Amino acid sequence: MENSSSDAAVSEVLAGDAFHALDASITSIWTIKLLGLTALLFFPVLFYDLTHLFSHDAWVPFGVLSGTVLALGLLYSIVWPRLRYRAWGFALRPEELYVEHGVITHVRTVVPLRRIQHVDVSQDLIEREYALGRLVVHTAGSRSSDVVVPGLPLAEAERIRDEVKRFILEDPLTEDPV
Amino acid sequence: MPSSASHSESESAEPSQGDAATASSQEGESIADSEGAGPRPEGASDGVSAPLGAVREPQRLHPLTLLLRVGQSLPALFIILLPTLQNPSSENVFSVVFSVLYGVVALPAIVLQYLRFSYRITPKQIVIQKGVLKRQNRSIPVERIQNIQIEENLVARLFGLAKVTIETAGSSATEGSLEYVSKSDALDIRRAVRSFQHRDLSDEGEAEETGEAEGEMTGETLFAMPLSRVLLSGAFRFSLFYIALVFSALQLVDPDLIMRRVLRSQGRIDQITEAMAAHPALSILASIIVAGVLGWISGILVHLARYYNFQLWLDDDKLRKRHGLFTVTEGTIPLKKVQALILRTNPLMRAFGWYELEVQTVGMNVDEQGHRVVAPFAQYEDILAMGRRIRSFDLPDTFGSVSPITIRRRFFRYSLALSAVLLPSVYFWPTGWWAPAGFALPWWGVSLVPFLLGWAVLQYRNHDYAVQDDGLYIRRGVLSHYLWIIPTEKHHVFHTSATIFQRRLNLKTLFVDTAGAATFAYPEVIDLPAEEADAQLDQLYRRFQTLYRTRIEALTGAPDTRLDEDERLHLPVSDDS
Repeated sequence: MENSSSDAAVSEVLAGDAFHALDASITSIWTIKLLGLTALLFFPVLFYDLTHLFSHDAWVPFGVLSGTVLALGLLYSIVWPRLRYRAWGFALRPEELYVEHGVITHVRTVVPLRRIQHVDVSQDLIEREYALGRLVVHTAGSRSSDVVVPGLPLAEAERIRDEVKRFILEDPLTEDPV
Repeated sequence: MPSSASHSESESAEPSQGDAATASSQEGESIADSEGAGPRPEGASDGVSAPLGAVREPQRLHPLTLLLRVGQSLPALFIILLPTLQNPSSENVFSVVFSVLYGVVALPAIVLQYLRFSYRITPKQIVIQKGVLKRQNRSIPVERIQNIQIEENLVARLFGLAKVTIETAGSSATEGSLEYVSKSDALDIRRAVRSFQHRDLSDEGEAEETGEAEGEMTGETLFAMPLSRVLLSGAFRFSLFYIALVFSALQLVDPDLIMRRVLRSQGRIDQITEAMAAHPALSILASIIVAGVLGWISGILVHLARYYNFQLWLDDDKLRKRHGLFTVTEGTIPLKKVQALILRTNPLMRAFGWYELEVQTVGMNVDEQGHRVVAPFAQYEDILAMGRRIRSFDLPDTFGSVSPITIRRRFFRYSLALSAVLLPSVYFWPTGWWAPAGFALPWWGVSLVPFLLGWAVLQYRNHDYAVQDDGLYIRRGVLSHYLWIIPTEKHHVFHTSATIFQRRLNLKTLFVDTAGAATFAYPEVIDLPAEEADAQLDQLYRRFQTLYRTRIEALTGAPDTRLDEDERLHLPVSDDS
C-alpha cells in the first residue's frame, strides 16, 4: 500500500515505538476460514451440476460451473489473506493504540488509550489451534466502537490487555469517559 | 473507567425460580436500602429533604393505566373484527371467534402486567420489577441517570397522567420507562432523583433549592418560540408525512369498495386520463405543485404538533426543554454530556438566514438519533450566541475546502448510479411506449448528466472544514446542510481512510469519532489530499494529547508519570526482529 509519503507525517508525531506486523500464521487461519466458505458455496453448485449431468438442455457442459467456483474460491482463499496480512500493522505507544488495516479501503486509526472503555482478548476454535488471540478494544465512539487486532500470540494479546488496563486504572483524571 | 453495564438484572424463564431469584435480590437490596436510608429520616427532619422523600415501598403504576392500555389494544381488535363489520354474515364468524379469543388473552394479560409491575425510588437507585412469565428486576443507579423525560400524550393529558422515561449514560436505549404514572408523581420522581444526584455532588452541603417544588422549570430562558415562529418554521420545511397518512387511511378501507367506486366513476376517470395524456407537461407540473402544497401544509402541521410552545432553559449546568402540542415532552440535558453542537439548515432556510441547533448526547433518545433539537428555528447570530452558552467555541473565519478532485469522483459515482437505472430500463422499454422525438423515454434521462455535474460541484462548494485548538469544525451537505462543532475534549477515535479509488487520486477521508453520533450524516471530511488528511489527523491527535496532558499536570502538579521511560507501555520485545 503506497503510503510511504504519508507514513512520514504520522510517524513524526507518533514516533518512538516499532510498528508491528501480525503473527504470520494468521494468513493460514484466514485461508482455512475462506476455504470453509468456498466449500460451503462449492457443494451446492456441485450438486446442481450432478443433478443436471444427464439433462439435455444443460446450458454449460458438466463441471464448468463447479470448476469455476472452485478455482475462484481457491484463488481468493490463497491470495486474499496475504494481501490482508500485508495491509495490517499496529503499534502500542505510550498513549495510544495505532492500527492500520484494509485492502480495499485502507484505514489508519488512532485510539487514545484513555478512551478505551474495556478490553477483551478472544479466541475462536481455529485460532486456538494456532495459539493466537484477538485483542478487542471497546470505545464509546459510535461508528467504530470496536477496534479489533487479530492474530496476536495469545500471551502477547493478554499482555497488551493488562498494560492497557493498568494505564486506564492509573489515570489521575477521574472524570466520566463520555 | 467502569464498564457500561451497571444495572443488575435477574431474569429467568421459569416462574418459580425467577420468583426465588427476585425475592433474594430484593432482600439484598432492601438491606442495602435500609443502610442507605438509615440516617436519611434524620436528614429529613432538619428540613433538607422533607418534600423529596424516596418512594420506598414498591409502587404500582397509576390505575388509569389499565384503561389506557385497554384503549391502546382496541385498534387491534378493530382490525380483527373488520371483515365482520363490513359484511356481517355467517362466513365471517371466525373473526368474531378470534376477537373473543383476543379478549380472553389480552385483557388478563393487561391486568397481570399491571399487577406485576412495580417501581421504587431509593436514594441510591430506581428499582423496576416487571414481567409476567419472565420476571425482570432492574435497578438503575441514581448517579448514572442522565435524563428523566416526562411525556404526556393527548389521552394521558386528559387523565392527568404522564410517561416517565429514564436514560443513562451507558446504554444507547431507554433504560426504564414508567407508563403511566400521575403527573404529580412524575414530577416527584424527577425532583427526588435530582435531589439525590445533587446530594452526591454537593456532599450534603446547603439545602437543595426548593424553587422547583411545583415541578416548574427554573433557570434562565435561553430560547422560546411563540406560535407565529412555530408556524413560520413549519413553513420552511416539507414533510412527507401526508403520504403515510393517506396509506394508513387506505388500509382501513375495504379494497373492493374502492374498486367499485373506481368502476362506477369510470367515465370521469377516463376524462381525467385523457386530459392528462393531452398535456403531459401540464399534468406533471400540476401534480408536483399539489405534492408540494401538501408537503408544505403537513410540514407546518408536523412542526406545530412537535414544537408548539417550545421553551429551553439554562439552569446551572443543565439544559431543560419542554415542547409539544398533543404530546408534551420535557427533558434535561446536562451540559457536560453535550458531545457536539450541530447547526442544521436547508437551502430555503439558509436563504433567509434560519438555522436549527441540535446537540449530540450519549444517553441516546432513539427518536432523535442521539441528536436533540435545542432550538428548532432561529437566526444564525442568535443560534451562535445560544450555542456559545451551551459550550463555548470560536467559529473560525476561514474554512479550508477539500480537494476539487472530489467533483470528479462524485460526478463519476452519480453517473454510474444513473446509468445503472437507465440501461436496464432502455433495454426493457417496450417499443411503442412513450418515446418523444423517436427516442425511448429512458434515453432522455441522459439529459440529466449536466445536472449531475452541477450537483457534484454544489457538494464540493458546500463541504469544508477547520481544525482549531478548541475543536474540529466541519460543514457539509446541500439539501440538508450541517455544521458540526466537535470540541477536542470530546474526540474519541481518530481515523483516516482511503478506498482504492481514493488511493489512485491520492485522496483520503478524515473522520473523528464521537460518542452518540448519528449513523448517517456523519461528520467526515471527504476527499482531502492524502498528505493533508494525515497531517490534520496528527494535528487533531496532538491537540487532544496536549489537552489531557495539561489537565493531568494541573491536577497532580506533575507530568503524567505513566509516560516515564520505565513506566510506559511496551510490547514484549519478542519474535519480530
